[in-house]
This record gives sequence, structure tokens and C-alpha cells, in this order.
Amino acid sequence: MDEERASEVLATYVDGLVNHTGAVHQVDMTDEEHARLTRLFRLTERLQQSMRPVQPSADFVRGLGKDLVDRARRRIRLTKRLRRAALIGAATLGSLLSIASVVGAIVFLVTRLRARAQARAIRAPTG
Amino acid sequence: MQDESDSALIARAKEDPEAFGILYERYVNRIYNYIYYRTGNHQDAEDLTARTFYRALKHISRYVDRGAPFSAYLYRIAHNVVANWHRDTSRRQIISLDDLIVGTLKRDGPASLAEEREEQDLLLDAARRLPPERQQLLILKFVEQMRNAEIAEVMGRTEGAIKSLYHRTLVALREDFAELQDGQEGVREGTSNG
Repeated sequence: MDEERASEVLATYVDGLVNHTGAVHQVDMTDEEHARLTRLFRLTERLQQSMRPVQPSADFVRGLGKDLVDRARRRIRLTKRLRRAALIGAATLGSLLSIASVVGAIVFLVTRLRARAQARAIRAPTG
Repeated sequence: MQDESDSALIARAKEDPEAFGILYERYVNRIYNYIYYRTGNHQDAEDLTARTFYRALKHISRYVDRGAPFSAYLYRIAHNVVANWHRDTSRRQIISLDDLIVGTLKRDGPASLAEEREEQDLLLDAARRLPPERQQLLILKFVEQMRNAEIAEVMGRTEGAIKSLYHRTLVALREDFAELQDGQEGVREGTSNG
């Protein structure tokens, strides 16, 4: 019996056991195959008996759920506040930059005009 | 709202706290079961389940939906949380309350029941010695009663690979279990002789 065949038969057996489909009866097994896998079938049955779903306590589920929703609310509020602060910061920076550029342009123009006026005054004939 | 898909809830959870609450309610039992069977006691299962969901909440804004089930993401977090816990607890030996209670029940109950319980505990101990992904496979199969196709989706493997892994897991478990049983019998014989 090869590995693949053994895996297939075992998987069918487990599915039949866990999902109560009785699928194992649909698998044709030789006596040799059955003998080889019997111990694994028994182990599967033991596992099914031992590994039953457990329930967390209702208090725990309720308490953790409430705490998670509160935390989520705080996180979302904080994210929104940070986003708003970043937006205000960017807008302020943008405004400051545009004011600075206007002031810079005025200073540049005034300086240039003054320089031109001085140059004209030097070149003008005296007397 | 309870029928809403996981993807829609995840997208909504980035702006709406109630959406994460629904995801939590949908998966809390599964994650709790997974952790309970990995740790073996309710106290740690509660603690680690809480840690798993806190971590999921922390990273939900960066979660990218690539088509894999959300449960796979939660199981991955739970797996890491349990791995850290194992690393920490291996440094300090703890006898859990559940073990103490079980011990008391074993002594108080009828002999056949106690023996049966002992054997079940031994089998679960052997299962807990398996590599994490094999433990996950057993939990998804027996506790969650998932189909192989669903397990394959959660574990990111093909269905064929899951069947093959299941076979190898059972063979390894059978050997570990037999070893533990032999050890137990040796202890019993030693006690009765001494």
C-alpha cells in the first residue's frame, strides 16, 4: 500500500467519523490495507473522543468583546485626530510658505528698484 | 449585518469599531479552542485569546485582503502568541489549575474513569509534542470539524498535502503516544515495587 493510497483512505475515514457521513464504508479496502491502518483508525477514534470543542466562559467573551470595541473606538478617534492634525499642519505650512514667498518677492522687487534708482542717480550729469 | 462577508467587515473595521466586534464574535470560539488545545488550560487560553485579538486589532488598519480567509490571519497570530508563551513558560515551570483539578478528579473518581481520563490526557500530551502545524491540523480537523478543503485554505496548502500531512501526523502521534504509555507504565511499576 503506497503512501498516497494510505493518506486517501485515512482522510476518508476521518471525514466519515468527524462529519458523521459514513464515508468510510464507501472505500474499498483490501484485508491487508485494513490490517495496516487499523491502529491508525483506532487512534483517530481516540482523538475524536479526546478533542471535543470547548466553550470559553460567557463573562470572558463578553468582557473581551466590550474591551476590544472600546479600544477600536479609541484607536479610530486617535487616528482621525492625528489625520486632522496632520492636515492642519500641512495647511499652516502651505500658508506660511505662500506668505513667505510673497514677502520674498516684494523684498526682491523693492531691492531691485532701489538698486536701479541708485544706478540712475550715479549716472546722471552733475551741475 | 451578521451575514456581512469578512472582507466587507475588515474594510469597515478600519473606520467602525462595531465591525471589529462582529469579526471578534465570529472567531472567538475557534481561536479559543485552538489556543486551549495548544496550552492545555483555560486560564492561559483566555489570556492568549485576548492577546491574539488585541494584536489583530492593532494591525487591522494595515491588513491587506489577498483572498485568504481572515481566520488564517487570526490562526497565524494565535500561533505566534502561543509560540512566545511556550518559550516563556519553558523557562519557568507552572502547574496549571486545570491540571490540579484534573489530578483531584483522577484521585476521587472511579478507577475506570480515572484511567480513561489519564489515557486521554496522555494522548493530548502526545499531541502537544507534535510540531505546531501538525497540532493545528488535528485541532482544525477534530475540534473545528473542518473539511480538508477548508483546512487547506487556512493552512495555505493543497488538499492533497493536507491528507498526506494528516497521515504522517497520525503515524508520529502513534509513536509518541506509545512512548508516553510505556513511560507511564514504567513509573507505575516503579511505584508498586518501591
